[in-house]
Amino acid sequence: MRLIARYARESETHFEIVTVWDEKVDREEVSKDDPRVRTLSKTHPAAVWFERKMHDDFGIVIEDAFDNRPLVAQERFPEKTYPMRKVFQERSIPYANYKPYKYEAIGGDGVFEVAVGPIHAGIIEPGHFQFSQAGEDMLHQEVRHFYKYRAIEKMLEGKTLFEAKPIIERISGNESVAYQTAWRDIVLQAGRRELPEANRKYHALLLELERTIHHLTDLGFIPNDAGFGAALAFGSKLAEDARRQLHLLTRHRFGFGAIDFEAHTVDAAAMIAYLDVLEEAIGFFETWVTDIPSLWDRFDGTGILKKQQALKHDTIGVVARASGLSLDRRDEPFYHAHGFVIQTQTSGDVSARFRVRLDEVKNTLEMMRNFMIESTYAVEPGRIEDGEYFGFSESSIGELFMSIELRGGVIERFFVRDPSFMNWQALHLMMPGNIIADFPLINKSCDLSYAGNDL
Amino acid sequence: MMTFWNRRMKSGILTESPELDNELKSIQKEITDKVKRKFAGSLAIRMVDSGSCNACEAECNALSNPYYDLERLGIYFVASPRHADVMLISGLMTYNMTPHVLDAYKQMPEPKWVVTLGECPVMQAPFEKNFAINAPVEGQLPVAHHIPGCPPSPKEIIEGLLIFLSKI
Repeated sequence: MRLIARYARESETHFEIVTVWDEKVDREEVSKDDPRVRTLSKTHPAAVWFERKMHDDFGIVIEDAFDNRPLVAQERFPEKTYPMRKVFQERSIPYANYKPYKYEAIGGDGVFEVAVGPIHAGIIEPGHFQFSQAGEDMLHQEVRHFYKYRAIEKMLEGKTLFEAKPIIERISGNESVAYQTAWRDIVLQAGRRELPEANRKYHALLLELERTIHHLTDLGFIPNDAGFGAALAFGSKLAEDARRQLHLLTRHRFGFGAIDFEAHTVDAAAMIAYLDVLEEAIGFFETWVTDIPSLWDRFDGTGILKKQQALKHDTIGVVARASGLSLDRRDEPFYHAHGFVIQTQTSGDVSARFRVRLDEVKNTLEMMRNFMIESTYAVEPGRIEDGEYFGFSESSIGELFMSIELRGGVIERFFVRDPSFMNWQALHLMMPGNIIADFPLINKSCDLSYAGNDL
Repeated sequence: MMTFWNRRMKSGILTESPELDNELKSIQKEITDKVKRKFAGSLAIRMVDSGSCNACEAECNALSNPYYDLERLGIYFVASPRHADVMLISGLMTYNMTPHVLDAYKQMPEPKWVVTLGECPVMQAPFEKNFAINAPVEGQLPVAHHIPGCPPSPKEIIEGLLIFLSKI
């Protein structure tokens, strides 16, 4: 079974631990006076972050865990402060005394540590990486995040689904349409409504365009991190073109506010003309970069994630598909009917992740043609009924899971698990056997979100 | 490689020239002079994300694509705050990031300026103030200029930086 998410929710009398698997949902009640739950991390290592987060959020003690360090709460976060509990209503908290965080480190003669972050040497999001090095060779790496923690889950409590929308679409800018799609599915479930085919196609078109932008950016940045700057110039030009198309369609360069229940018209002829140009450019790009041996010399065999590891650590998205796992939320009849073909590779290295992105752009181009419509219909979303709803979508990074519990018409508990949250935990597996100079390349080949991870 | 150069010759120069827009044309010379005089020919920016959604960063990265090519204006992004004249801050100044942002600011040599980017650092984005958010940045650092937008487009960022340069 694949672990999708594990989180806690609070009711009047107890805490409930919800564990979402691909096949079922487990629920476990724990008392509020002495909240304890057994760890799942022995069989599913990816449960570690969920459980550490659960402890920081609610003060639930994780029994038998090999890692009890704080995750979200950092060095100066006050002790015994559990912000996700309903009683916590503070608008600000003081900085407590500095308590060092104990990084995972490998000891030994001549082994040293390299600390990188939280502010990185580029225009990137903040996060910390701690390396144990034997000279150039990486022995181990720990990912430490949550510098961008905005307490989104708490922020959304007490809001209606529509009040929450502007915040949900700004959780992770690169995946905005994917977040909105998961939100849309929850609104439809809560309102007991179905979406007309034309609207579904329009939303899918936007989601594929968002994926195209993100993949094109990466197709430029990954070779750039291997010292091949010309690809970045080419890729970033194509990404800008695609972003301008998204702007034409949605009047926003990132598609904020794009997924709604209004009627829209699409200039299909112009869009198809654009797709023709992009298709030709991608064809050229592929021939061009495939023909550069020094580039593939850097890509091949770098940052390998083996299939068994990918499976054991419940990875998803591009990372999982590059390691040979057929995991994609679009693997369903609606997408199949519009030309979706799952793209996988088996080598699990940087080349595989680069290749999966390239192949997905090509497949996405075909799908966007099939999703082309002239206009959509205005839909009445229906009366929102209380309950617990799950929404899924496949962002450019991987499977996105969103859970919203509504009570009295407003959000009682909001939980979202960005695909990055799973894949960040598997990043360290790709490091041993590589030199530290290849870390940026490996990291970029996964291109995970910090904002979506940290919430 | 020949296929690349053939294509390169055909596509020509893509860079669009917002500095030639009428509004910017007038201040162009003044700015070039200022960058030359005050910043020894180039304005160095250290971009710091204090808790954004990553859209502002994506737009700053887009500034280097062939359409905008920011460096032709003598403005470029640097890796270390110790090389920077300006700190460009995006994001909500989260509780967890604030100490690190202040640290980076301390590392910058004088004279130095802070420019805020996007709606988050001025608390104009839809996010609500809570315990994890220390924005607005104004309370923490002296802000010289603000570039609005959610996120500001690359063109708006260039215009904003030029306005900032004409102000100081």
